[in-house]
Amino acid sequence: MTEIQIEPNSFEMVFFDAEKIVNLASEVAQILGLGNEQIKLRIDETSSMGRSKIESYEPIILAVDGGAFENTQRPRYLGETRTSETIARLLMRIIDRRSPEFANAPEDDVLDLPLRVAWDTYTAGRLNHIGLSTQMKRRQYQFRNRHGFSDAADKAFTYLWESPNKLAWADIERISVDCRATLV
Amino acid sequence: MRKIFPAEELARDSRFVRQSNEDRINDPRGARVGGSTGEKLSKLTPNLPNGPDRARALMHGIFVGEIQALEGAGRTCYDFETNTDVPFAMKLDMARQCWDEARHCEISVALAEHMGTEIGEFAENTLLYQAACNPDPVLRLTGVNRALEGLAIDVFNTMKEFGSIAGDPVLEFCEDWMLADEVTHVKMGSDWLRELTLNDKERLTKALEFQKVVDRLFSFNGFRGEDDENPIQLTRRFRELAGFSDEEIDDIAQMSREAAAEIVH
Ligand SMILES: [Fe+2]
Ligand SMILES: [Fe+2]
Repeated sequence: MTEIQIEPNSFEMVFFDAEKIVNLASEVAQILGLGNEQIKLRIDETSSMGRSKIESYEPIILAVDGGAFENTQRPRYLGETRTSETIARLLMRIIDRRSPEFANAPEDDVLDLPLRVAWDTYTAGRLNHIGLSTQMKRRQYQFRNRHGFSDAADKAFTYLWESPNKLAWADIERISVDCRATLV
Repeated sequence: MRKIFPAEELARDSRFVRQSNEDRINDPRGARVGGSTGEKLSKLTPNLPNGPDRARALMHGIFVGEIQALEGAGRTCYDFETNTDVPFAMKLDMARQCWDEARHCEISVALAEHMGTEIGEFAENTLLYQAACNPDPVLRLTGVNRALEGLAIDVFNTMKEFGSIAGDPVLEFCEDWMLADEVTHVKMGSDWLRELTLNDKERLTKALEFQKVVDRLFSFNGFRGEDDENPIQLTRRFRELAGFSDEEIDDIAQMSREAAAEIVH
């Protein structure tokens, strides 16, 4: 059984329900096969930005801005889809890094932006297949910003998003670098 | 048909979600416009890790702003009597503005879609339209055409630069075209303010005060200014073209610095 710890346990600035977040995180962890892990969630409720990061891989500690869990239609309230998606995206990166195919991936804090976005595209695409991620157009816009507004970039995006094969870090890196090489 | 139409009753379909001013102001994390928050911010460019996402959220704010600008200009055509309240030529300008804003709505929907945003994805605040409910046409024009459309100049120029840096020709050109219209709208405000208050210094002072109140509402947290940390950059050149004096532009820049200082401590 996944054990989720949440910090803080209650909120003053936003109307989030800690138990609801724990349930969503637990559900996502089960779906992704991390059912036997301990996961700690650190939420900065003072921030309405949408930043999120993996603070520790072992044990798993995820740190997010309250904004990353927020309902964009109703500021200060929990957005369930957004919460699940944010957690799923971070957990997926952890799963990737645990596989030998990602052994060469640079550490998070030195990972350059285009590579991070390419990896996120691959991640969001896979989550989309299992119903945990939406907003394909939003991801495409992010990808275009880092890889160019071009047919080549759109083709690369589609490949990563649909990920017909299990990709390794070297594939993601090559796709991103090749795509940027076409930029003038 | 009634005069001065209340903001609460503006027609929207079920995709739109309204956020009240009260909710916006009571957000202890700091009121925000287009994804900006009570935190120390930086100029909105694609180079920021969350730049594209912030631009995307701002685009939705622009889109609802265009709808409200259309509604406001439309009300100004209708709410005042021709000749007794306002000259016919002013109504003609407002009608022209309606035409522009309707086109901007269409462009903004297309741009939002281009950036991966859905209609109604973000809450709508009707502050802009509320400024267009002022019963004095001169105050309405300064609040809307000079303060808010002035802000639109800054926003569109920032977004145009964003598109240019990102290599996104769609965003760059669309913003450039809309920017040209907004300069005209602000100039209309400047011209009618001068014309209608020619022999009424008191009314002019009142109108400029109202403009300041509206400007201040949109300067919170240093949202707009000319320093590196201001997400939206104050655009001197286009404001000059639209009838702003250097002194007025300096005032707005200063107002923004003061607002930013209030939260940075
Ligand atoms: Fe407009
Ligand atoms: Fe306008």
